[in-house]
Amino acid sequence: MSAPDAATAEVAPPRRGRSTIWLGRGLVAVAAVLLLAYPMLSDDLYYQNMIIFSLVFAIAASGLSIITGLAGYVSLGQGAFIGLGGFTVGILATRHPDTSVWLWVPLAGVVAGLVALVLGAVALRASGPSFVIITVAFLFLVQVIAINWRSLTGGTEGLSLPIPTWDVDIQNWPFYYTLVGILALQILLSWWIRRTKLGTGLVAIREDETKAATVGINLPIEKMIAFVASSVLVGMAGGVYGYYLTFIDPRGMFNILLSVETMLALLVGGKATLWGPVLGAFIVEPLNQYANNNLGGGNTRLLLFGGMLIVIVLFLPNGVLPAVESGLERLRTRGRAGLVGARIGTGGSLASLTDRLSLADREAVVDPPPLLEIKDLRKAFGGLKAVDGASFTVPEGSITGLIGPNGSGKTTLFNLIDDTIHADGGEIWLAGERIDRLSPWARAHRGLGRTFQITRLFREMTVLENVVAPQRSFTWGQLGRIAVSGPEARAAEEILEYVGMRAFRDQKAAALSFGQQKLVELAQVLMLDPKLILLDEPAGGINPVLIDRMTEMIRELNSYGKTFLIVEHNMPFVLGLCDPVHVLGRGRTMASGTPAEIQKDPAVVDAYLGDDFVLEAAATERQEVRNR
Amino acid sequence: MTELVQTLVLSLLVGGIYALVASGLTLIFGVMRVINIAHGAFLILGCFITYTLWNQLGLDPLVGVVITTPVVFALGWVIYRLLVRPIRHAPMSSTVLLTFGLALVTEGVMGLVWGNDSTSIRPSYVDQSFHLGSIFLPKAQVYGGMLAVLVLVGLWLILTKTWLGRAIRAAAANPSSAELVGIKTTAVAALVFGLGLAAAGAGGAITGVLYPFVPGSHYLWIARLLAIVVLGGLGSIEGAVLSALVFGIAETVTAVYISPAWATAVPYAIVFAVLLIRPQGLLGTRLRDDAVTA
Repeated sequence: MSAPDAATAEVAPPRRGRSTIWLGRGLVAVAAVLLLAYPMLSDDLYYQNMIIFSLVFAIAASGLSIITGLAGYVSLGQGAFIGLGGFTVGILATRHPDTSVWLWVPLAGVVAGLVALVLGAVALRASGPSFVIITVAFLFLVQVIAINWRSLTGGTEGLSLPIPTWDVDIQNWPFYYTLVGILALQILLSWWIRRTKLGTGLVAIREDETKAATVGINLPIEKMIAFVASSVLVGMAGGVYGYYLTFIDPRGMFNILLSVETMLALLVGGKATLWGPVLGAFIVEPLNQYANNNLGGGNTRLLLFGGMLIVIVLFLPNGVLPAVESGLERLRTRGRAGLVGARIGTGGSLASLTDRLSLADREAVVDPPPLLEIKDLRKAFGGLKAVDGASFTVPEGSITGLIGPNGSGKTTLFNLIDDTIHADGGEIWLAGERIDRLSPWARAHRGLGRTFQITRLFREMTVLENVVAPQRSFTWGQLGRIAVSGPEARAAEEILEYVGMRAFRDQKAAALSFGQQKLVELAQVLMLDPKLILLDEPAGGINPVLIDRMTEMIRELNSYGKTFLIVEHNMPFVLGLCDPVHVLGRGRTMASGTPAEIQKDPAVVDAYLGDDFVLEAAATERQEVRNR
Repeated sequence: MTELVQTLVLSLLVGGIYALVASGLTLIFGVMRVINIAHGAFLILGCFITYTLWNQLGLDPLVGVVITTPVVFALGWVIYRLLVRPIRHAPMSSTVLLTFGLALVTEGVMGLVWGNDSTSIRPSYVDQSFHLGSIFLPKAQVYGGMLAVLVLVGLWLILTKTWLGRAIRAAAANPSSAELVGIKTTAVAALVFGLGLAAAGAGGAITGVLYPFVPGSHYLWIARLLAIVVLGGLGSIEGAVLSALVFGIAETVTAVYISPAWATAVPYAIVFAVLLIRPQGLLGTRLRDDAVTA
């Protein structure tokens, strides 16, 4: 590595200004002290009531920030968990009048969690807008059931809970401090999740779910955990809320406006932030009470909520906190250049890979066994047979090329191999194991890594976060591992150093050039420590220097034991690097062999290379013949 | 037996109205990938406008369609230009939240203008029926169902027989290519949003005669409409029409043979059932998504 490059590699800027961080921490501490001290300083029940309501929504919104903020699944059914919690406590408290009502609050959390588990199993199979529809449908369905199941819920007449028996001097303190405690737990949970592999996995799901699956993220399980984590403490808060109201009925407890207010609190504060939902709840709920008491109630409330929803979506999609933060950041960094023009490093060693390596003496192996075997693979899009009975093998330790005219099915074939698209028929074998019925993440766990023709990084994540996102296997322990620092982050930095992108560690992926994204995507795949790496046009759309570097890295990684399958149109690149080469035409393998054989194959020349195609070597050879 | 035949005929008439309104919702989705949660609210707005025309001017509610429809169309056109267009590239969830906000605002405005009490439109023929043997068919239902089919046919003719219809389908299939061949997709989208809402407005004029309504009735309507378009495959008008008829039967049969209270659960149950059977989602087939632009 030359000296100037070493220098650029070290100028990784801090993520946020230290001053901004400390300002934020100070504000949070002051707010926490005020919140804890308020009931002791003032006996004004109006404001105590307002804070209690705000706390309920703060808990609900903070819970929602896990499934909606991190995983990107917008739920308008969050209010249902408040209602379920309330009714769990209400039903049990009215049937066991001699037992303390507080005893049922944890149970309310369990009920909410179980319902979330069942609902999630169905609803999380849908994505995007369908999920919103389902959560709303769920909320209304629960409401209809609650209204009609009179023997359990009291129907429209509702339930009256026991009146609290404690001393009036302490007013509503028990409700107040219980809710503060639940909020603290919820924030702790949200904070912890976003620091773990689970958290980066969820953000990856939000950014690009299909891609997330290919880097080993177990979609259903991680989404389910997020959904349950979004609901358990909310159910408990709902239980306390029901007890506080002392009267609950299905129309009130399963009112869609509870969900709307929770969503608003999240959006106003900032959906991807830790403290935003809390801030949002303490903005939205007081406004709500003001509209209710001073501006005529019902209809004004609708105008307020609806209007805020429209304004936020149109003008402040990231919420208040991120807007303030980026404003401060702009002030702080004014006049200083960013990293945009920094040079790409020339690479470092890959100890993490080479340490684990048992260098196979490949000269000794005459006929290496196939690492990947494709048998009669088929995929049709309507009447178009994109892949029509393709069969070939990738020998272990090889750099195998896959070429063919545009539309011959190369990328589709890649998509079938990693299950980005599901095959209609045929078999895929990886290292002696049949994998065509496995999920994309299970394939990744078995040693399959893949880059995309048009890079698919998680755009809103930093380069480092992108590289720590992949999950080599699925274990519960791994999900809880801290991702953003410690060994995971160190391994990622080492790989980034290797591909020359360490200096860009804290940049958003979306800010990188296409070539830089290709390098980061390669690093991401390397983090999986795959046996087989599929590269879709690694040399496409990048400059010649980078192509050379790419060639060099592929050769080096290959020498460490990585097998490659490469789709590429750059013929000198393919024919110089790959052996064997398979040629795809109309969804079938039409030829296979060494680069030399492929170039002479008349069918290949006719269908793809063209009869004027000559490699430099071939051309010079002919030149020499003529000179003689 | 007579009861069953009567139930089926009535539910088909109701299904015709559902088909009209759901076509508007599915049309909007098909062209601009927006799930208009405010669709039910604009149907109720159609009810209230028709109510005012009938109450103040004595205009027959079913004739009132001629005024209600263009008014709601214009409103839809303006809303698209002001609110939907600025976020046309945002994720679909954003437009869901936006139109949800729009539904709440519309509900609030209707509450302020017309009040939150149950309102009904009662023209002279509302209590009269046609008698076919032993079957009773309320005149309002028959007129309303026929009018709905008429408007639906009109909408279908616009979409299939006119230049506008071809432009709409082109814009739905591939917006950027449509631009290249000279279709102003923005103008087309605004027209489609207007047309879609107009279908809801026309439906409102008809259902206002059949059922009493309050501003908050739109939740029930949007649930019903979403269930219909989801069952028929979002974006497909033929699917929406067919599933509207099926849905009309399912709902009426539940109300008659089980209990009206459970009829409201039908749409939600359908959404879940569809999802269980088609896990790839409610939005039709999964498209190739490796080619998304970076």
